[in-house]
Amino acid sequence: MKLRSSRPAAALSALLSAAVLLSACTSGENTTAPPAGEQTPPAAEAKKEKTDGGEIIWAYLSDPQGFSDLWATTTTSSEINDLVTSSLYHYSTKQDLDPDLAVGQPTFSEDKKEMTVKIRTDAKYTDGQPVTADDVVFTYNVALSPDYKGPRKGVFEQLAKVEKVDEATIKFTFKQPFASFIDLMAYNILPKHILGETPVKDMDKAPFIKQPVGSGPYKLEEWKQGQYLRLVRNENYYGGKPAVEKVTVKIIPDANSIMAQLQTGEVNASTVPADNLAVIEQYAKTSGKIKLQKGIKSSTYLYVAWNLTNPLFQDKKVRQALTMAIDRQGIVDGVQEGQGVIVHSQTPPTYWSYTENVPKFPFDAEKAKAMLAEAGWKDSDGDTILDKDGKKFEFEMQVNQGNKVREKAVTVIQQQLKKIGISVQPRVVEGSAFSKNFQSKQFESIFYGWNISGDPNPKGIWHSAEIEHGLNNVTYKNPEVDKLIDEDLQTFDTNKRKELLGKIDALIAEDQPYTFLYSPTTTVAYPANLEGFNPARDSLREVEKWYFTK
Amino acid sequence: MSRYVLQRLLNAIPILIGITIISFAIIHMAPGSPLSAFMEDPTIKTADKENMVRTYGLDQPLYVQYWKWVSGMVTGDFGTSFLKNQPVSDLILDRLPNTLLLTVTSMAISLLIALPLGILCALRVDSRLDRFVSSMTFVGMSVPAFWLGLMLIMFFSVKLGVLPSGGLQTVGGSFSLTDRLQHLVLPLFTIVCGEVAVWTRYVRSSMLEVINQDYMRTGQAKGLRDARVLGVHGLRNALIPLATLFGLSLPGLFAGTLIVETIFSIPGMGRLFTEAAFQRDYPVIFAITTISAFLYVFGSILADISYALLDPRVSYTTKEAKG
Repeated sequence: MKLRSSRPAAALSALLSAAVLLSACTSGENTTAPPAGEQTPPAAEAKKEKTDGGEIIWAYLSDPQGFSDLWATTTTSSEINDLVTSSLYHYSTKQDLDPDLAVGQPTFSEDKKEMTVKIRTDAKYTDGQPVTADDVVFTYNVALSPDYKGPRKGVFEQLAKVEKVDEATIKFTFKQPFASFIDLMAYNILPKHILGETPVKDMDKAPFIKQPVGSGPYKLEEWKQGQYLRLVRNENYYGGKPAVEKVTVKIIPDANSIMAQLQTGEVNASTVPADNLAVIEQYAKTSGKIKLQKGIKSSTYLYVAWNLTNPLFQDKKVRQALTMAIDRQGIVDGVQEGQGVIVHSQTPPTYWSYTENVPKFPFDAEKAKAMLAEAGWKDSDGDTILDKDGKKFEFEMQVNQGNKVREKAVTVIQQQLKKIGISVQPRVVEGSAFSKNFQSKQFESIFYGWNISGDPNPKGIWHSAEIEHGLNNVTYKNPEVDKLIDEDLQTFDTNKRKELLGKIDALIAEDQPYTFLYSPTTTVAYPANLEGFNPARDSLREVEKWYFTK
Repeated sequence: MSRYVLQRLLNAIPILIGITIISFAIIHMAPGSPLSAFMEDPTIKTADKENMVRTYGLDQPLYVQYWKWVSGMVTGDFGTSFLKNQPVSDLILDRLPNTLLLTVTSMAISLLIALPLGILCALRVDSRLDRFVSSMTFVGMSVPAFWLGLMLIMFFSVKLGVLPSGGLQTVGGSFSLTDRLQHLVLPLFTIVCGEVAVWTRYVRSSMLEVINQDYMRTGQAKGLRDARVLGVHGLRNALIPLATLFGLSLPGLFAGTLIVETIFSIPGMGRLFTEAAFQRDYPVIFAITTISAFLYVFGSILADISYALLDPRVSYTTKEAKG
């Protein structure tokens, strides 16, 4: 499992008060669009003629880190990397394996320790050299080299060796059966003929990292750091020549500026943040130049984590009551402009292993109050705050600075909990310090989000072995969950895994160590005459399948 | 004079050392670390984090880290950015021209407007013109750059579509002067608006102080042309306090304009510094604070020297010192 803390709003925009910006945008919009009558966005029903060529201009808030997944850590990096380079597999929108260079799914030996991957033989780097099993073996051996000091070494811990069987077959040997093998499969294959002579310890500074030679659908023409990346299609791409000729990626550090450029056409495709949605929807309607794909599910979910070492939160009943006292749909509607779906446990709704079949604690303030009373929390001194044994039910809730949506959500939670007699003190903490507080368990409750990708085994966050050094920062201990997680790690049958992961989700939902809030859905704006995009993606991934119509 | 300069330069050394120690201490006392970003990723094992700590040299005692950094810096080596994995000097040299283009140009334009405007206001103090300019300068000082910038984008780019809304050049196009100027109009206007207001007020008030001095009246009385009285006697004296302000604005020219750089997506020093600050990229933060501090000290020395050149009453030669 690959996790990223989910803090999508760039820290920089934090400096610029979102409220003022929003009003600026709105007023700008009003003057922008002379009401051109009721013009519905161009419908896509009719079969339209596919055209060859065209340009997509996309925007990211920051530069990618470079063209090797072994050293990069941001989503932006891996998305751009996937345009230029190839890996054995890509993750599908359900987070299972889509073959890229590979042919079919990996096969395993009887004892599950050996995995064989076949690759296609028609793939070529843009300098004309073929992509071979040697390149694959070379790439994975960089990761296994003792000189590799990058941030992904731990991922390859279970891998013992990688060997070439023949020109199109590679054998991976694991130290022990490892069901999360899919976490190793999406690393871009480095060209041995270019990097073969570079010592591993200097590879992250090799010119290749900034000027890659790949075998992906696009090739990098120019990268002006802090300004833009210019990509043109790879005419010889093994997946077929992409229809869209050019992809330009602009680096624009302010989300409101991206939205402005979307309206001037300087950017023609982009994700649209929820707080700009109304403006952009209006623009799409009146200009007819773009169309919106709304409600794209994400693998991010937001939650309030309760520190289980704190006496306030040790009773499961109390945590369930807290969840019931929070109107989650109200938060989605109120602060997220309706762009989100409620979650009940720890698997994001996009996953193949997602299940609805878990205990749920729907909003019911009265019942929450009753459950708290059962647990001994009553307002005995008449100050409207619940108390028990002379101790009041009051605590602090941390949230990271610079994310207006989350800051607002915490305020809403504060008001909702106040109604049942619980006093919450919100505390906005600067990002870097916030991470540290979370990691070092210096919190009572905390509002946060996970962005989960790769294998769904949740060991990193929920196994009791991860309390010390891992991400089990709430100190969650459930022996049954531990056992199921360990069992899942050794299970290779998908249906069996679904069952095990479902049980884990049900147990965690019952325990409510977090109050699981919602998974935001995203919106992407596309040029009105663009087709072929995957409505379940909210990024540039699969841009090679997009095409313009006449 | 040269002795004075030497003395000032020597005095600056302990100040600079002090600044490096303080900024080093403050950054290390701030919560969070360059590794914070990796703390939430379970695929990064403890051993990996320890690895990174060693690579960054963060496992060493603070005084060792400080010494390594200072001795590197003295030889012109600012270290390597943790997050961008590039030498800090490369990063700065990459961003500095963009920032200087913005700050120096806008400073020049601002002065070109503010000097005549401020003088005119001082000459016609309390006239309708003066009141109008005064109220406009208040507006100029109060309008926040991020708001003004966005409004300009909304009007000139989104509504009228006559100017690009960001960046330094058309993507993929080769460099051309018209293209560059088109991209610079809005960001420069945003900066100049605020700066003109401030400088106009400075020029006006320092001119006002000079204008009623006896020597001005003497000049007029002995029949000198108004222009000469104003230009030679008036302006020269009025410029003295401005020299200080100018000297002290040197670090600002280097450090850039974060907000304008962000809104108009111009990769400059302001953005480099804030990104580094948010991600605790120590080497970048240190380099920029130290260079800024150096420029500040240097700027104030420069201001003092220019005093002597502009004001005959000030002399730094010890023998002729008049108190």
